[in-house]
Amino acid sequence: MKSYLLVSAAVLATLGASGARADGEKIAVFTKNNTNPFFQTVRLGADSAAKQMNATVTHFVPTKPDSIPEQMSQIEDVIVKKPESIVFVPVDYKAMVPGVEKMNKGGIPVVNIVDRSQGGKFVAFVGADDYTLGLATARYLFKAMGAKGNVVIIEGVRGSLTSSDRVRGFQQALKEFSNVKLLASQPGNYQRLQALQVMENLMQSFPRIDGVLAANDAMALGALEALDAAKRKALATGINGTKEAIDAIKEGRMLASGDYSGFLQGCIGTMIAIRNLRKQSTPAEFLLPAVVVDKSNYRPYDIAAESRSCPKWDDAVKG
Amino acid sequence: MTEPIAIRHGFSAGALALGYRLLVVVAMCAALALASDAFLTESNVINVLRQASLLFLIASGLTLVILTAGLDLSVAANLGMSACLAASVLKSTGSPLLGMLAGIGSGLAIGLANGLLVTALRIPPFIATYGMLWVLHGLSYYYMAGGTIYGFPPGFREIGSGYLFGVPVPIYLMFLFFVIGWLFTARTTYGQEIYAIGANPAAARLSGIPVKRRLVLVYAVSGGMAGLAALVYLARLNSAEADIGESLLLPAIAACLIGGASLFGGVGTISGTLIGALILTLVLNGMNLLQVNANWQPFVTGVIVLIGVWVDMVTRKRAEDKS
Repeated sequence: MKSYLLVSAAVLATLGASGARADGEKIAVFTKNNTNPFFQTVRLGADSAAKQMNATVTHFVPTKPDSIPEQMSQIEDVIVKKPESIVFVPVDYKAMVPGVEKMNKGGIPVVNIVDRSQGGKFVAFVGADDYTLGLATARYLFKAMGAKGNVVIIEGVRGSLTSSDRVRGFQQALKEFSNVKLLASQPGNYQRLQALQVMENLMQSFPRIDGVLAANDAMALGALEALDAAKRKALATGINGTKEAIDAIKEGRMLASGDYSGFLQGCIGTMIAIRNLRKQSTPAEFLLPAVVVDKSNYRPYDIAAESRSCPKWDDAVKG
Repeated sequence: MTEPIAIRHGFSAGALALGYRLLVVVAMCAALALASDAFLTESNVINVLRQASLLFLIASGLTLVILTAGLDLSVAANLGMSACLAASVLKSTGSPLLGMLAGIGSGLAIGLANGLLVTALRIPPFIATYGMLWVLHGLSYYYMAGGTIYGFPPGFREIGSGYLFGVPVPIYLMFLFFVIGWLFTARTTYGQEIYAIGANPAAARLSGIPVKRRLVLVYAVSGGMAGLAALVYLARLNSAEADIGESLLLPAIAACLIGGASLFGGVGTISGTLIGALILTLVLNGMNLLQVNANWQPFVTGVIVLIGVWVDMVTRKRAEDKS
């Protein structure tokens, strides 16, 4: 403890003296769960950014996925340990506001990534806009369908911000393509099994389904299993750009996946946290552009996230 | 002295309860057939049965546990853990046989551990299996580390997506285990002993039933069935991730309760659980076919559970009053 204090005192002294760079900043990174591969890529992005900039990252993940009380108590623990900065994904964008306020009160600068918190003070927000991502993915699918045909939507968890924004993007695209008909929009709760069953049921009512818009990759793959088993074909898109989806795109089974770029969000969020400590310029908001990953551009995604590394700050900002 | 009477009533009231449930299924089917042309088709009947099979496989083992007045809250987490283990064995060896052994072996081992927690350590079943649920979730998350294992050998996938004479393989599995479960509970002394343990454990012990061994047996069977269900899941979805069991626990318990099993033990049948699994599956199928937003599914499930249990209580009470 004592040596830790000494080190931080030394760091502070260096900061005060030069007002510029320092190494070895301690960053606490909060993510939602250990189950969704997406957050694994966020953590790997944060690790890569910290390595690049010579800082250290400690991860805080609720053992029970998306648990509000558990993230709250992790925040309380962290405030006591006083990391220099926090990179924060709220497990719930409304319910975690008091937690953010605690971090603010503790005087620790916080960078909000992935889901925009409804309240609290942040150095910056880094995210991919779900609405734009949904819109871009749906437009891509409809173009591939020749701007006509029947589609079904498989939604995520109703009431979750990500799902409702993605579905809103899907619906906006439907307005733009008047010859694409929406047959049904049903929740698959981001679960592969439920998406499979919903697709099996929908195939009973609809003899012709040309396209499937799923709010994540696991559900798109579940729907594809249902189609394969029934020996029927439809173009399917998901969202997240997971490795499994990329493989399916490569094989030609799945059409495309909107990339939510968890890795880059982890990179840029952590970079902003560190740059802010080093008094370098940071944007107040950084929205990653929507990228639809398909057969033509999957290559950069076709490596394990473990071996990817963050872009340099200047390249990342240029987009 | 009261014990044989209780069992006799259990049977007659049980027959009545089954009758009601069949009526509910018939009524649901009739209503759905009227409302949607797509419902009463050969392909949708097969579709509903195939969807019900996974739920029935989990719920059938759970029914045995509930009959002993126990509960296996770890059954879905067991499915998730066993699926992840089987998936990695399948992936690394490429052998369907080894993969299946891993899945069922893991399920059985976890079930056996539950049985020992309940009997040897005398931890109440609710707590023992609740603790096991957490342990298994923790292990699966740690083991999978946010990853997904996918792409299994075609031979293995037959048990989930294959067909035999035009009927999907999981449906055969469902009926096979229905018949085995029915024979076991209704036609063997083991079955009668399990009912007796649930109805009155003290009396069962006094009448010479090896209560502990029977309890270990039912928890092991419940675990083994979860392992088998894990294989069907893998073969159907061609993919495993740490959280696959999470959404299956409550439906599995609901299938047992809707089927007429009582959490106080001694009452319930495998046939009832089969009907329960069918009713739950029909709810989602009906909502999807009728374009009702399936977010109402949990609500409807809850209402059906409450009505089912209430009707059972009333009919049982009436049967007791008559005698």
